[in-house]
Amino acid sequence: MSAPSPAAGSETGRDLSALIVAIAQRSDREAFALLFRHFAPRVKSFLVRSGIATNAAEELAQETLLTVWRKASYFDPTRAAASTWIFTIARNLSIDLKRRERYGDTTPSNGREEDVDEMSGETVLMMAERETRVRAALAKLSEEQATIVRLSFFQEKPHAQIAQELGIPLGTAKSRVRLALSRLRALLEDLK
Amino acid sequence: MSAGLSPGSHPGDETLLRYAAGTLPSGPRLVVQVHLSGCPACRSAVAGFEAVGGALLEAETPAATAPDALSRALSRLDTPALPPRGEAGPAVVRPRGLPDGLVLPPGVALPAPLGSRRMGPMIAIAPGVRVGMVRLDEDPDAQVLLLRIGPGRAIPSHTHSGTEFTQIICGRYGDDFGHYGPGDLVEADGDVDHTPRVEGTEDCICLVAFDGRIRFRGLLGVVTRPFL
Repeated sequence: MSAPSPAAGSETGRDLSALIVAIAQRSDREAFALLFRHFAPRVKSFLVRSGIATNAAEELAQETLLTVWRKASYFDPTRAAASTWIFTIARNLSIDLKRRERYGDTTPSNGREEDVDEMSGETVLMMAERETRVRAALAKLSEEQATIVRLSFFQEKPHAQIAQELGIPLGTAKSRVRLALSRLRALLEDLK
Repeated sequence: MSAGLSPGSHPGDETLLRYAAGTLPSGPRLVVQVHLSGCPACRSAVAGFEAVGGALLEAETPAATAPDALSRALSRLDTPALPPRGEAGPAVVRPRGLPDGLVLPPGVALPAPLGSRRMGPMIAIAPGVRVGMVRLDEDPDAQVLLLRIGPGRAIPSHTHSGTEFTQIICGRYGDDFGHYGPGDLVEADGDVDHTPRVEGTEDCICLVAFDGRIRFRGLLGVVTRPFL
């Protein structure tokens, strides 16, 4: 594709949403290329951070963006930002990957499609505009609390990792996780 | 535990965040799904945490992808990457009906997330106590139980290493920590030795899963051992 390579981070959330809508409405391959250039590298590093091997993360980033192509008509820009929608797709695919790693390829990926559909429907109720407010909420957390939120997202067993990273006992880590997440949730709910 | 303004017992913030992040094991994930199907406040919290996931994704430092990554993706756009639906398992959610021995009171429906799940018969393991296994096709090792317990009966004594997640479908129960009713999700730490007892005049039907291993004492241990 000859689409110009945009500078990293130059798109706004609105532009990114418009790209998905363009895919849904007219199978716009140029829009897909732009979306791919923006998100595939981010999805890959997100997955690597959550413990997935580099090669598998590369493949899963492909799968994520291909799912965006196929499922674009399910995306509702009034309900979720592009980044949130794509995050949930990558999440569902990585849940499937972990199951396959555990049980082999024979395990039916029960729920994969349903998860995506469900997510584009009821689960994601936030307006795209609220996404920027979510960033504001994240910015209001202390540095330590932001670290805790990140580790809680990426780690299967976050308490031990948080204790190690912050140099605090496990019990202290547990209560700080509770405090950080309850603050985050309060900040998110204030934004209604 | 902030559960918004809605009364009752809800999943903790950490559980909802792990659900949103995709790190909750499949058993507890199903139990939380059942809770979410009836709890708008928790659905909204999950949506908030998913938006946090989106913000974290957006803030990621882009990783280098393979040089041919985009051209490969473009060449795959017209080939369906998912296997045809018939091969990928049940495409349509088919209600499988109630398991043998499960009687729901009038006005109570089986929660939608359980509709497509395979459930074993409800086996009587003690007077007034029946238990059935819920099988997760995608995670055969998952430990999910459906319990039906009569009024005044105690939930069978058990120990577990991780958190226990109990979603009440109908009826009520109480323990040293509180009293719970339909729609409530109760989390209990493994180090808590609690003996919940069914309250009121109706059977309590609940769905239970564990983050960690569970061991029942007595007959239920024998019944559930082959599955666990």
